[in-house]
Amino acid sequence: MKLSIIITVIISAVILQIIGLSLFIFGFFPVKPALSGVSGPESFYFDDGGGSDSVANHTRASMPPHLLKSLYQELSGIHPSFERLILMVIDGLPAEFVLGKDGQPPREDFREAMPYTQALLSNGMATGYHAKAAPPTVTMPRLKAMVSGAIGGFLDVAFNFNTQAMLDDNLLDQFFRIGWKMVMLGDETWLKLFPGLFTRHDGVSSFYVGQLCVFPDQYSLIFVCLFHPFCIPRLSHTQTLRAGAWGIFSCEGFLVQLSSSIQVPFSIQVKDTVQVDQNVSRHLENELNRDDWNLLILHYLGLDHVGHIGGRNSILMAPKLKEMDEVVKMIHLSTIQTRDNDQGKTLLVVVSDHGMTENGNHGGSSYEETDSLALFVGLKNDLSDYAASSCNSIYQVDIAPSLALLFGVPIPKNNVGVLISEAFDLLTDDKQLRVLELNSWQLLRLIQAQLPGLSCRNLPSHDGFTDGLASTTVECSGSMEKMLCCLYMNAINLHRSWKSKSLSRSKSRDDYSCTVAAYHQFLKTASEWLSRRVTDKPVGLLAFGIVAMAISSLTLLGLMICMSTEDQPGENQRLCNSITGLHKWSVNEIFLLSVMLILVMSMASSSMVEEEQYIWHFVLSTSHVLFLRKAVQPLAPGSAKSFFKLMKGQTERLDFRISSIILLLISGRILRSWHQGGVNWTYLPDISKWLEQAGVNHVRSIQLASGLLVISLSIFALFLFGSRRKITQLVGFCFLICGFLVLWHLYHNNAFVSASCDAAIQAQIIYAILGIATIGFFVALPWFIPLWFPGTCSKPNVKSTLVTFDGQCIFSLVEFRDSSYLIGLAYIICWCLLQLLLQQPINSMPILLLLVQILSSMLYFSCSGLQHIEVEVALLYYMGMAGHFALGNSNTLATIDVAGAFIGLSSHSMFLSGILMFIITYASPMLFLLSMLMYISVKCTSYLANHQNVDSGHLAKMILGFPCLVPVGLNSILLTSYTVVLLLMRNHLFVWSVFSPKYLYVCATTVCIYVGVFVVAATEIYTCWVLALRRKKQISIR
Amino acid sequence: MADQSKREKEKENLSKSISAPQAFLIHLISGLGLAISLWVAHNFYSINLVSHPSITLRLIWIVESAIVILIYSRFRIDPQQCSYLKAVVRGILALPVGALVNALGAIALGAPVGIQYLPKTINWSLLMSSFTVAPAASVFGSSWTYWQRIFAQTKPNEPLEYMICIPAHGAVIGGWFGAWPMPLDWERPWQEWPICVTYGAMTGYLVGMLASSGFVLANGRRQRLKED
Repeated sequence: MKLSIIITVIISAVILQIIGLSLFIFGFFPVKPALSGVSGPESFYFDDGGGSDSVANHTRASMPPHLLKSLYQELSGIHPSFERLILMVIDGLPAEFVLGKDGQPPREDFREAMPYTQALLSNGMATGYHAKAAPPTVTMPRLKAMVSGAIGGFLDVAFNFNTQAMLDDNLLDQFFRIGWKMVMLGDETWLKLFPGLFTRHDGVSSFYVGQLCVFPDQYSLIFVCLFHPFCIPRLSHTQTLRAGAWGIFSCEGFLVQLSSSIQVPFSIQVKDTVQVDQNVSRHLENELNRDDWNLLILHYLGLDHVGHIGGRNSILMAPKLKEMDEVVKMIHLSTIQTRDNDQGKTLLVVVSDHGMTENGNHGGSSYEETDSLALFVGLKNDLSDYAASSCNSIYQVDIAPSLALLFGVPIPKNNVGVLISEAFDLLTDDKQLRVLELNSWQLLRLIQAQLPGLSCRNLPSHDGFTDGLASTTVECSGSMEKMLCCLYMNAINLHRSWKSKSLSRSKSRDDYSCTVAAYHQFLKTASEWLSRRVTDKPVGLLAFGIVAMAISSLTLLGLMICMSTEDQPGENQRLCNSITGLHKWSVNEIFLLSVMLILVMSMASSSMVEEEQYIWHFVLSTSHVLFLRKAVQPLAPGSAKSFFKLMKGQTERLDFRISSIILLLISGRILRSWHQGGVNWTYLPDISKWLEQAGVNHVRSIQLASGLLVISLSIFALFLFGSRRKITQLVGFCFLICGFLVLWHLYHNNAFVSASCDAAIQAQIIYAILGIATIGFFVALPWFIPLWFPGTCSKPNVKSTLVTFDGQCIFSLVEFRDSSYLIGLAYIICWCLLQLLLQQPINSMPILLLLVQILSSMLYFSCSGLQHIEVEVALLYYMGMAGHFALGNSNTLATIDVAGAFIGLSSHSMFLSGILMFIITYASPMLFLLSMLMYISVKCTSYLANHQNVDSGHLAKMILGFPCLVPVGLNSILLTSYTVVLLLMRNHLFVWSVFSPKYLYVCATTVCIYVGVFVVAATEIYTCWVLALRRKKQISIR
Repeated sequence: MADQSKREKEKENLSKSISAPQAFLIHLISGLGLAISLWVAHNFYSINLVSHPSITLRLIWIVESAIVILIYSRFRIDPQQCSYLKAVVRGILALPVGALVNALGAIALGAPVGIQYLPKTINWSLLMSSFTVAPAASVFGSSWTYWQRIFAQTKPNEPLEYMICIPAHGAVIGGWFGAWPMPLDWERPWQEWPICVTYGAMTGYLVGMLASSGFVLANGRRQRLKED
């Protein structure tokens, strides 16, 4: 096979893979097509396409709140029925507890626990709904859905581990615009979502650091990991906890992250169930007596905490429900009192953000988790007759348009919900039709944003506008767009005809109910279509993406097999076809290839995905043991005792191999126990916890020591190469300067005060120096490597080491080897120094150990000959992945070191901190990819020792081809198989909490591999080019 | 030359010394030893691997190593230079050495290190040693050639070598597979170190003994065919 063909195949396969991957991601994680901007007065007119947006925006922006409020009222023609709103959010309360399930009343003890609420429900003062929440059922996205009516995608959650203010159009902003005063008591999430909106607030954190909670019925102190609202929950130790064991569970990674950002050794969060709610209620009475607010938000976290600790059937559940009932009672009684004053009526809305499973977990999409509550108290004041309206089912997003219309503000732009019709029962018929019309307009605008070509005016049904009912309603069929349009036109036409009739005083009840039904039909269809657009997955796109990825990975795999069977070096290589090639494979090779199989199989299990680091470490150390076994194999053959002394050189080399493998094993074992990692066993002791408990000073001294050791190792590796050359001394000098700069920075800036300006500038200087050094080595070294000429050396085989191409001598392999070694070493050392700067102090030792692993594996590979290069490259790739987990990473997004991503950044830049985050997270795989350059150089040495003729095509395939092909190929297998797994698991309970984050990691690993392989390939090609150029020049001079 | 012919003779001796039924019997006794020790632990001391891993492991390795060393010492390769007693002694000496190797291997592969795990690890590695190293030491002594061929290259030639090599490899590989359920979150007591690894190793050992009986049988038949 020709080199050019190989390169073309690799590049085209990679491009195909990128296309497939992006198609899949685009299909699987649909990014919500959000309308930007905020609804204003223009939402009360209907303009198809909207030309006067800017004018309307301008007028609205300049309008004072009270004028805007009256403008809204005037435009909508509806006088708001309520003046004040109390939004009471009970975190994690399943609607089943209050309303029962399938027409059945709720459980006896729960009903008894909430006497007041149940009474309200039964006498019709309150209307309760099962509000179906969309997954992921986690607090923050649910709150967003409730106030904006929009459903966010998964990426929304994933990219929001730093909560930022909500920028989309939402109810609270709308209220703020019309001059409402808002008060918030409860979960801090609201403050993060809406900074500066609240006149008064008393935020409680979802967790308390350092407080203990004594469980009333058990003697054990229960330490429960916090339940961080942005961290996707995954609780699996509820049982052990209930049994009274000690444990820290779920949101596991957040603990690690917390300890990295605050620099406290493993702080323990205790989740209490009492204090969080008392902190909310303590101001409630005071607030209820005041009249300076329009919106009061109460967010109670306690019930969710009870669920996390004890599940649905926890003994704490009924008392907690009772407490909530007391709050409802207190609010309701006080609102009844104030109704007589002229403050306007108050509406109490009790909602929950999500439900919980039997064990109290949430995050997934099961009925138990999505069954949240929406309870409207005060809509009807007459103790009316009908009581059984409480088993209605709505969507959680329906709350937003209903509240907007009830309080006379525009519906948020991205709302996909439909108003709850019972909430408007008190309005007159024309007002009711008006709110339906407003909701329809808003949804139609959103549909038009998604289908830009849609214009309902083109439909023929519109032209024939008459006042006859029969001619206006059209049977709707055809494509979805036409269907939506047709339904909309039906409703509008009916409404118009109703209006004209009402002018002529000939309206009938029938016409009215027809119109309402038509509106509801449109709203329902539109809402379902819009929410499907967010949650549904385009099958064709996914299938195409997967097929493209599969083809690409099969191509790469085929190429790999082809090359490894074709290019067995040796005289009889032509004889060995694929079958004999297979026979030659030893246990090591088979094992390393079966590792892929093991990994692919293990990925289908959520527990194995969570504990992936065990697989990597286990597999890697097993392969090291197998390599050790292989190294022992030829040792001192039985009959060779007599000429032992003759073989002494050989034996020493073998000892060398054995000792380097043992070094690999030891460093691998230490790396493994450095971070416990994973999800389920994070509480087990490990070295990092032990060191952090020992004190900050120990950690710092270890950090400095590993910095020093990295520098000395780099000098050692450099002098293995040859100490007397000037170029070596120069490179060594550069290493020393960079190294001591980093050390100096680490010494002077402990992580406590790294926020200071000086430290940022220092870090920036170090970034610059490291960058310049790396690029400088890359550009300059091939130009300054001394050229080897046959005449200058007395060694007999130097002449033959010249690389020839088409019989023409291009450059000497020796100089290629030298420059490749030096550049590779420079890359590795610069990367290590950068990591010492960026990683948490506790991770500096693992960085050193990874460097030790690289160097000792290079030593091992230097005596292992040219057989099975692909296996050795695969081993390096595996070591990189194992190291990834050894640095404390896991497959949850929470272990990403966010604190480190701001080192040296003076301003907040999402892009730069994203890059730093990537560098920190993928430190180890990238390090091992960069070590491929050294590996190539080491293999060149073996080549020099073994081969008389150097054929550039063969050499390139052997030595350059595999280090690039194998990582890309192996990664493509993992990527493709994981894509298939994700697709199969799309309805799995843990798809959002386990599989999707893992998929993001897989994608990021792919990017890392591409970058690393590109760097390696570019360096090699550039070096070859420069060396060839120089040799040509030299020859022409001579 | 003389050396070679002597080895040839030794080989013949060996192949004669172990017949298929004999091999089968040896394996049966070792397997029974394992079963009996588990039974005794369960019925006399009412302990098992899950409840008292350390003590049970100690019981098993004492019984198993005694059986293995006593039996395999009879089939030592150098009966002329080495008495039965000496073979037994070198088997007993090899037991802790093999345990050290096994323990180091297990730790390298990720066995937990800590005071509370120490007795378990020691007992487990002694059991592994009686599966792997002790019989080989009784038979081969310190002859490096054999050790290398059996354990590094896995190229057994004769029935006796099969009988040592295959169960030993089976035990190690079984233990390796037995470690897989350990990180899973099933919350079963047997997922603790070294319980499931021990189960895996014992299963592998039994399977290995079955396989080696098969090999010995096949080998014997082939030899007979050759002789014919």
